[in-house]
Parts: sequence; structure tokens; C-alpha cells
Amino acid sequence: MLLKQMTAAALAAALSLFLSGSVTAAAEEHYDVYHYDCWSEAVPSQAGYTAERAVSGQDLGVGNFSEPTDIFRDSHDRFYIVDSGNDRIVVTDAELETVEKVFDTFTMPDGSETALNSPQGVYVAPETELLYIADYDNSRVLISDYDGNVQREITKPDSELFSQELTFLPQKVLADKAGNVYIVLGNITTGAAMFSSDGVFQGYYGANTVQTTPEVIVNHFRKLLSTDEMRSRQARTVPSGITNFDLDDEGFIYTCSQSTSQTQDTVKKLNAAGANLFSSLGVTWGDIRSYYDTNTNTNYQPMICDIEISDDKSINCLDLTTGRVFQYDKEGSLLFIFGSKSDQLGGFTEVTALESCGESIYVVDKRKNTVTVFAETDFGSLVHKATELYNAGYYEEALAPWYQVLQYDGNYVRAYEGIASGLLVKGDYEGSMRYAKLADSNSRYNKAFEGYRQEWLSAHFTQVAIVVILVAAVLTGLHFYRKKHIAKTETAERSEQP
Amino acid sequence: MDLTDRQWVSYAVTHPFAGFEDMRWKKAGSVKIATAVVCLWFVAAVLYNRLYGFQFYSEPDKIFNVIPYFVQTIVIFLTWTVGNWSVCTLLDGEGTMRNIYIYSAYALIPYVASLYLETFLSHFLIRDEYIFMQVIGYLGQGWTILLLFSAIRSVHQYSFLKTIAAICLTVAAMAVMLFLLVMLLLLFEQVYVFAYSIYTEIAYRLKV
Repeated sequence: MLLKQMTAAALAAALSLFLSGSVTAAAEEHYDVYHYDCWSEAVPSQAGYTAERAVSGQDLGVGNFSEPTDIFRDSHDRFYIVDSGNDRIVVTDAELETVEKVFDTFTMPDGSETALNSPQGVYVAPETELLYIADYDNSRVLISDYDGNVQREITKPDSELFSQELTFLPQKVLADKAGNVYIVLGNITTGAAMFSSDGVFQGYYGANTVQTTPEVIVNHFRKLLSTDEMRSRQARTVPSGITNFDLDDEGFIYTCSQSTSQTQDTVKKLNAAGANLFSSLGVTWGDIRSYYDTNTNTNYQPMICDIEISDDKSINCLDLTTGRVFQYDKEGSLLFIFGSKSDQLGGFTEVTALESCGESIYVVDKRKNTVTVFAETDFGSLVHKATELYNAGYYEEALAPWYQVLQYDGNYVRAYEGIASGLLVKGDYEGSMRYAKLADSNSRYNKAFEGYRQEWLSAHFTQVAIVVILVAAVLTGLHFYRKKHIAKTETAERSEQP
Repeated sequence: MDLTDRQWVSYAVTHPFAGFEDMRWKKAGSVKIATAVVCLWFVAAVLYNRLYGFQFYSEPDKIFNVIPYFVQTIVIFLTWTVGNWSVCTLLDGEGTMRNIYIYSAYALIPYVASLYLETFLSHFLIRDEYIFMQVIGYLGQGWTILLLFSAIRSVHQYSFLKTIAAICLTVAAMAVMLFLLVMLLLLFEQVYVFAYSIYTEIAYRLKV
């Protein structure tokens, strides 16, 4: 009897161990998955994305990549991988399994052939299906159709606005709906060069401003005191140039700046006038606390080298320093952090670009010469579902997914915020107050408390009124009694005196 | 005017111009009550930071250290008393340390009361009604400044301008005292480290 029970218990334990083991193994990463809590401190979290496979040129059957620098997905879900070291652009299908085309030579309008020379960026306009290629070492941007016929070539503009001593070094390129071409140049810090659809230089767009660091302030005062000769020898204070950009469906351009000195506005959402719509959010893009390495005595700051807006409007930022991808929703709240610096799958040596397609994220590594595919986990899809409902204003509908998110990860602050907002809309003020406190969100608590107070007052109005009247009556009674009492004793004293 | 100690408190607080003058004339004032006020101030400072209505303000709960609140209230008050006494004995002030202590503590009452009231109200009001708490806060601070000025003026029998000068010098003296205090602490720490290293050295020798 006892033996039977024991074997049954052991069997159950083994079964549960096996089951739980198989469940967690699916979402286990080789690095520490973390998120930030409401006090901006890193806490362990669940993985939103997991590395599925790494694709090399060999796997695609076109020979190894050499220093790939960019990846782009067009409107037909074809991937364009800029294989910079091999001077070519490889086009694959949506699954990254078969190569559809390899661009290495193009036909110029006059019929001559031309080859690429370490291209750095590619863009395919969804409206015209034209390829825009930043042909770095040839100092030009090629605009070509899918058959390799060059429609137009953009070279160094003959304009007063463009300093003629500088070489034209196009790194990244994109074109808006109107056909304006924006080019990130490697040696220009005044923003992206903007060309009209017929190739005329228009000026610059989206420049960064100089961040007021103590060094900049000191330099400013030093300049006031120095002679012209000294001034000419001093380093000029220039803003850091933008590194990469992306376009969303509504035509907003998002830029990122990879810089060691710039800490503010490293990611910007620009409107047509070039103003940053993200400046008021106060988001720290990338890691909130920079990573300090005691071995080399250096402080590693996040350097966002690529930005990508996916179809569901989330903002994916790629950090060169840590090899991590930071995913934000369209309001700039952090969703997930994934990736690392390592040799395993899901780790990188030197990341250069990222792209998204549906639920997957693709990251290009320049040293590993691979494209790593990250797939969304169950937790990831749950958070995305909740975030989408929440950002669309369906707070009540988002409640159920948020509760589920909390079952996966009790540290996920956004879920507490979401539930607080959902319960508020539902009219459960007490619950909303509790969750707002857990989320450390004063403004949500304020709204919930306002509702709670109103409800309480209307429910207990008679009691409150009775208490107020009673207290007032007792106080006035006491006042009169005291006056009378004092008057009595005084008259008594006076009558005693003579 | 024969008032009990408690009645003198309300008299001094409600008569900003003549209150302390009368107190001095009658040699009134209680050290016990003054000490109670300063201790209540310390409690108020802690409550104000920890128990404020969540809709207005929240502190990270991960760490709580009571020393800063202690320094910001009781230590500051004691340095004020000592600083004021040292400055004003040099400037022909008539106040004794005891009187400076009592009068300054009495002058703090409106401010301390406003701290309690604000903390209490913060649990019943919402952000739109913050203005009420702000008014209470300003009233408490303004009243206390007025009382403190009046207290220093009566306790030393100064003129208007001399009182202002004395207060400015007192603040300077407080800064010097705090600086010296910090330096003293650091030096004592070094002495401690020195003694401790000698102890470890001897302990090692004995062992080996």
C-alpha cells in the first residue's frame, strides 16, 4: 500500500517536472532577460522574443556575406540584404530561404553597365517600386527599377548649401510618398540631405541640436575670452549627425543618432517641419542606466544604430553597444528588451541593422555575417495584443490580456497601468486605485480616487450630514457653556472680594 | 495677565506683534512645550514625506532613512538656537539660550500645524483642489516667518534692521557650525579607521 502511494507520488513529481521543464525551455534565453520597473530599475522579466535561427549567405546559397550593413523589407515582403563587402544586394523571399535576385550590376540610362562599390543602404518605395541604393564608395545614390535599369543617379549637389570640399558619402537612404529622397551622409552633422523627386538638392532635414553638456558651456566661455587665432585652433561644437532613419505609414520620419556624447533625443519622430514629436515624452532610449565595465574602466552608453517601425507601429531600436533590441510601443513605452553580445544564437558581435516582418524581427550582424530571426513568444504576443487594445483606447477590452500578462510576469509595470485604466473605465474605482498604486502611477490614482470619493459621498451623504451637524452643535454648546461658566465664576469672585 | 503655560502658547501664536514681548515681560514660556513642538515637527516631516496622499506624490519605498529628516528638523533647530545665541551675545542681545529656544519653537507652531493639516487633507482632496493645500502651506510658512522675526526681535530687544542683520548672521553661523560638524565627523571616522587598522595588525601578529 505504502509502496504504491510512493511510486504514484514519484511518478506525479516526475511528470510535473517534465511538464514544467518543457514549458520553460521553450522561452529560455542564454542571457538575462530584463525589463524596467516603475522606479527605472532593471528587474528579471519574461522574453518577448526568442532567437529562432541565424541565416548566413551560405544557407541561402549565394556564398557568405561580407559585412552586411542593411536589411530592408519591401511591400511584397521581400528582403533586401545589403552585402557591403561583396558589393551586392541580395533579395530573398519572405521566409529568408530562397534567393530571388542578386543585384551587383545595373544598366545606366545610356546603356552602359555599372557596378556597386560597398553599398551601405537600400530602400524600396512602396508606391513606385523603385530601389534607392546608397552606393557609398561610388559617392552616389542609384534609383533603379527591379530589373536593374537605373532611372536616376544622385551625386554630390552643386549647391552653395553643400560644402564642395566634402565628399558625398551616402550611408542610408529613403524616399517619402511625394518622391523626395532623404540621404544620411557620413560626414554631415546638419541632418539628412533632402532632394526633390527630380534630384534637386533642397537642403537638410532633421538635424540634431548641440546638447548642453558642461564641456559645451566651458567651451563657450573660453571662446569669449580667446583671440581669433586661438579660436581657429579650438574644436568646434557641432551636433552629432543622425545615423539612421525609417518612415512610418503616416509619413513621419523617425531618426536615431549613434553617439557617445549625445544622451538626449537619440530617437526622434519628426513632423514635416522637422520638429521632434518625442521630445516631450521624456523617454530614455536604450538602457536607462549605462553599463559600467570595471575591467576597462569605461562607461558603455547606449548607441542606437538602427530604428525600425513595424506594421503594428512599435518602434524597434537596435543598440550597438550591448547588441540589444529595445522595442517600444508607439507612445514610447518600453515593451521588450532582447538580444545580447555573445557567440550563441541570439547574441551578436557588431549589429548593423534590423527589420521586422509580421511577428518576427531580423537583426543583421556585420561580423557574424548573418541575419538572426527572432520570433515572438506567447508572452510577446499577449503583450502586443494588450498594448494594441490599450493604445487604441479599448481599456476595458485590454483588461483580460493584461491580467494574463501579470500571470506570466508580475514585474511588468505596464500591465498594472493598463489594469488601473481598465478598471477606472469600468467604474471599479477601488480596484483601479489598488492597481494604480502598484504601478506607481499618481495620475491614474488621482482619477480613480476622484470617482471613489464621489461614490462614497453620495452613498453616505446622510451620515456625513448628521455627523457635521452634531459636531457643530456640540462645539457651539461647549462655547456657550464655557462663557456662562466663566461669567459665573467671575461674578462669584467679585461678590467675594468686598 | 495671568495665563497658564498652555494659554501662553496660544497667546503668543495669535498675537504676532505683542505676543513675545508680553511673554518676555511676564517671564513666561515652557521648555517642555518647546521641546514637544520641535519633536512634533520631526514627526510631521516624516509623515509629510511618507504618508502624503498618493494622488499627489509618491516616494520609492525601497529604502527609508530617518537620519535626513532628523537633521532637517531637530539638528537644524538646535544649530539655529546655538547660532543665534552666539551671534546675539556679541551684538548686545538680551536673550538667554533658554528663551531663544522657547520662543523659536513657539514661532514654529503654525508651520508644523500646516504640515499636519496638509498631510491630512492630501488624503481627501484631488489634484484639481491642490490650491487649498497650497494656501494652507503658504499661510503656515508666512505666519511662522513673521513669528520668528517677532520672537528674535523681542527676545533680544532689537530694532527692525538689527533683527534682520542678526538673522542673516545666524544663518551664516549655522552654515559654519554644520561645516565644522561634518568635518569633525570625518576626522573622527579617520581616527576610528586608524585605530581599527592597528587592532587588525596586532590581531594578525598574535595569530601568526
